Amino acid sequence: MISLKGVNEFKNNAMAILFLALCFPGMAQAQATASSLGSQSLGRPYWHVFTAYAIAWLLVLLWMVAISRRLGRIEDRVGSAVRD
Amino acid sequence: MQEDRGTQVLNYIALVWTVARKDLVLELRTLERLIAMGAFAVLIGVLFQFSIDTSLIRVQTIAPSLIWMTTVFAGILGLGRTYIIENENKALAGVLQSPVALDVIYLGKVVSNFILLLSVVTLILIVFSLFFNLSFPIEIKGWLSLAGVFSLGVLCFVSIMTLLSAVAVNNTMGESIIPVLVFPLLVPVMIHAVTATNRIFANRPFVEIEGNLRMLVAMVLIFLMLGASLFRFAIED
Amino acid sequence: MNNEKAKKVSLFFGVLGVATVLLLHYMVFFWVPTESSMGIVQRIFYIHVPSWWVAFIAFGAVALCSGVYLWLGDDRLDAAAVTAAEGGMIFTSIGLLTGPLWGKIAWGAWWTWEPRLTLALLLWFIYLGYFLVRRSTLNPERGKRLAAVVGIIGVLDIPLIHVSVSWLRSLHPEAVVLNPDGPTLDGSMLATLMVGLLAYTLIFISLFTMRYTTEVLDRATRVQST
Repeated sequence: MISLKGVNEFKNNAMAILFLALCFPGMAQAQATASSLGSQSLGRPYWHVFTAYAIAWLLVLLWMVAISRRLGRIEDRVGSAVRD
Repeated sequence: MQEDRGTQVLNYIALVWTVARKDLVLELRTLERLIAMGAFAVLIGVLFQFSIDTSLIRVQTIAPSLIWMTTVFAGILGLGRTYIIENENKALAGVLQSPVALDVIYLGKVVSNFILLLSVVTLILIVFSLFFNLSFPIEIKGWLSLAGVFSLGVLCFVSIMTLLSAVAVNNTMGESIIPVLVFPLLVPVMIHAVTATNRIFANRPFVEIEGNLRMLVAMVLIFLMLGASLFRFAIED
Repeated sequence: MNNEKAKKVSLFFGVLGVATVLLLHYMVFFWVPTESSMGIVQRIFYIHVPSWWVAFIAFGAVALCSGVYLWLGDDRLDAAAVTAAEGGMIFTSIGLLTGPLWGKIAWGAWWTWEPRLTLALLLWFIYLGYFLVRRSTLNPERGKRLAAVVGIIGVLDIPLIHVSVSWLRSLHPEAVVLNPDGPTLDGSMLATLMVGLLAYTLIFISLFTMRYTTEVLDRATRVQST
C-alpha cells in the first residue's frame, strides 16, 4: 500500500504559503504607492508588475494543482484495487 | 572477401537510389502528390494576387517570401503523405522488413521527396514569374546562386519533413500534426533561404549571399545526420 | 528513488523554494532600488529572467533524458523527460507572458521579434508538438519514442534558431534605444536576480520531484491493474 499522506500534507502547506506569496505583490503595491519612486508616474506600470508576478505564481500554482489531482486519481485507483 | 571502402560507399548510394526510384516510380504511376502540389501552387498564386493590394505594395519586393511560403505549404500538403500511401496498402511493414538499413530508407525517401518538391518549386518559379512579373538574374552566377539556394533550402525542408511525417503514421491526428512539428524547426531555414533569394533577385553580389548559403549547407548536414540517426525510432511500431 | 525519499526531497526543496520566494518578494518590492530609465516595470526582470533560466534547464533535461531513453529504453527516463517538458512549458509560458508586460512599458510594444522572444515562442510550439505526439500516437510505446525524437530535434534546433534570428535582427536595428536585457546591473540588482534564479530553481526541483514520482507511480499502478 503506497502512503501518500505526507505528500498531501506538503501539498496543502505549500498551497497555503504560495497563496500568501501571491498576495505579496498586492501588499507591496499598497506600500509602494505611499512613497514616491523615481519620476515614473503611478498606475499602469504597477499594474503590469502586479499582473506579471500574479501570472507567474498562478501558473506555478496551476502546475501544483494538476500534480495534486493526478496524485489523487492514482490514490483512488490504488484504493479501489486494494478493495477489489 | 571484405569490400573496400569505396565499394561500400557505392553500394550504399545504389541502395539509397533504389529506394528513391521505387518511390518515384510509385508517384509517376499515379501522379497524385505531384498534381495536388502543382495545383495548390498555382491556385495559391491566384489567391495571393487577389489578397495583395498592388497599389500599396510592390509585389516584386515580397515575391521571394511568397515563393518560399508556397513551397512550404505545398511541401506540407504533398510530403506529409510520404508514408501514408504505403501504410494504407500495408506495404510499409514490408519496406521496413527489407534487408536494408533504416537510414538507407530514410535517405532514399529524402532523395525522392527532394526531386518531387524541386519539380514543384520549378513550377512555382515559372508561375509566379508570370503572375507577378518577376525579373530573374541576368548573369549565370545569379542563376547558379538561385539554383543553390533553392536546392539547399528544399533539401533542409525535405530532410525535416521526411523524418517528422513518419509521426503521421498510425496517429489519431493524422497529417494535421505535421505543421505543428515542422514549422518551428523551419524558421532558421526560412530566414536564410528568403534573405538569399531576396538578394539574388536584387542582383546583389555573391559575397552577400555566401553567408546564407553556408548556413543552409550546415543545416542540411545537421538535419540529414539527425534524420538518419533518429529515423528508426520514428518509423518502427 | 523510492516514494518516501522522493517525498522528503520534494518537501525539502519546496520549503527552501518558498522561503527563497518570500525573500525574493521582499527584495524586489522593499529593498532593490528602482531602475532609473525603465522605472518600476523593470522589476518584472527579476521573475522574467529566472523563468527562462528554468525553462532552458528543463528543455535541456528533456533532450538528455530523451536521448538516453532512446539508447537504453529505460521507462524512468521517459518519465523524467515528460516531467521536465511539463515544467519547461510552464516556465516558458511565464516568460512569454511576462515579457510583453515588461516590453509594452519599456519598449512601447507588446511584442518584438527579438531573438530571445522569438526563440521562446518557437520552443513553446516545439514542446507543444512533443505533447501532441505523445497523446495522439495509437501505440503508447511508439508515442514515447516519437516524443523523444521531437524533444531531441527541438533542443538541437535552439542554436540554429538563435543564431539565425540574431543575425536577421542585426540587420534591422532595434526601434528603441533601450537594451532589452536591461542596463548593466548594479550589486543589489544582481543579488536580487540571483535570489530569483535560486528561488525558481528550487521550486522547479521540488515540483519536478513530485511530478516525476507521480508519473512513475502512475505507470507502475497502471501496469499492476491491467
